[in-house]
Amino acid sequence: MLPPMRNDRLLVVIAVIAGIALIAIGIVYFVEPADSLPSFFPGHQAGSSHHHVKHGIAAVLLGAACLVFAWFRSAPKKTAAA
Amino acid sequence: MILLSLITYPRAIILGLIQGVTELFPISSLGHAVILPRLLGWDIHQNDKYFLTFLVATHLATALVLLGFFWHDWVRIVKGLGRSLRDRGIGPDDTDAKLGWLLVVGTIPAGILGLLLQDKLRTVFASSNSAALFIALNGVLLFGAERLRRRAPQTDSDDDTRIARQLTWTKGVGIGAAQALALIPGFSRSGASMAGGLLAGLSNEDSARFAFLLATPIIGAAALLKLPELAGPDGNGVRGPALAGALAAAVSAYFSIRFLMKYFETKTLIPFAVYCLVLGVVVSIGFALS
Repeated sequence: MLPPMRNDRLLVVIAVIAGIALIAIGIVYFVEPADSLPSFFPGHQAGSSHHHVKHGIAAVLLGAACLVFAWFRSAPKKTAAA
Repeated sequence: MILLSLITYPRAIILGLIQGVTELFPISSLGHAVILPRLLGWDIHQNDKYFLTFLVATHLATALVLLGFFWHDWVRIVKGLGRSLRDRGIGPDDTDAKLGWLLVVGTIPAGILGLLLQDKLRTVFASSNSAALFIALNGVLLFGAERLRRRAPQTDSDDDTRIARQLTWTKGVGIGAAQALALIPGFSRSGASMAGGLLAGLSNEDSARFAFLLATPIIGAAALLKLPELAGPDGNGVRGPALAGALAAAVSAYFSIRFLMKYFETKTLIPFAVYCLVLGVVVSIGFALS
């Protein structure tokens, strides 16, 4: 079993990776029309020129939430004042 | 012009007044916006493009009134959020920061569910019959929340301190997610989040306060997201009535929020539950017979 500190660090790394990935996915949704999205993306539709802006906003919001979580989680531990 | 004959100025003002009240009272604004035109014999349907555009304006007005009403609270909350980001943690006595993050974690699930499901759910539950049925179910929800509520001891005199101490992150997410029920026409956003607050142990007053704070970014963001439609071709012929409706919604929303914040200091959701049940059942029967 991982010691608590490593567990925390692992969580932070996962949150940062997820955050960046989600923001990148959000940007893809903003710039690419539905038929140019990768086929495994929700909203992919052959022949459609629609931009899934809402999907993009949702992905960016989730990504930002992951980064904020990592920001708090990676804060230096405060020691109680003597 | 056909559009102008569909939403005339008097109709726009009536719809705006009702929107301002029903958005904040826990009785479903969307449900009323769906059943009212049919009850009055108006040829307006909730999925009509011009009607959705009209609703954007009234929602934006309601959100602005909410923002203005709680302006000083929002200033404190935003400062608290900034403070916690700077310190990379929430101080034990920093209730503004805790409340701010509770609002953030409550807004994320409702926002994402809204972004992804709003159009689909509105299409599936577009009929006035289903809206009437769901208004009745909204009544059941409000009744249930009052019956099952957890009465936690109230130790602090300050509203925000009580809310921040009572709510955990999980409860904040739960209350926020409950708002997503309002994507179905007939369920009330404020009703669902107030019900969630009661189940989490908040008083009626605190759950109402948290619900209104929680509603502001969601209603405002949803309206802002659709604002280009009002400015674009979809807004042609609707902008004048939309402005009149928005002003009417702002006036009724202001008086509604003032009334409700006073009302919930001492009273419960039961009268709204009764209203929704009676309205939903009577209108459902009426629609079935017609």
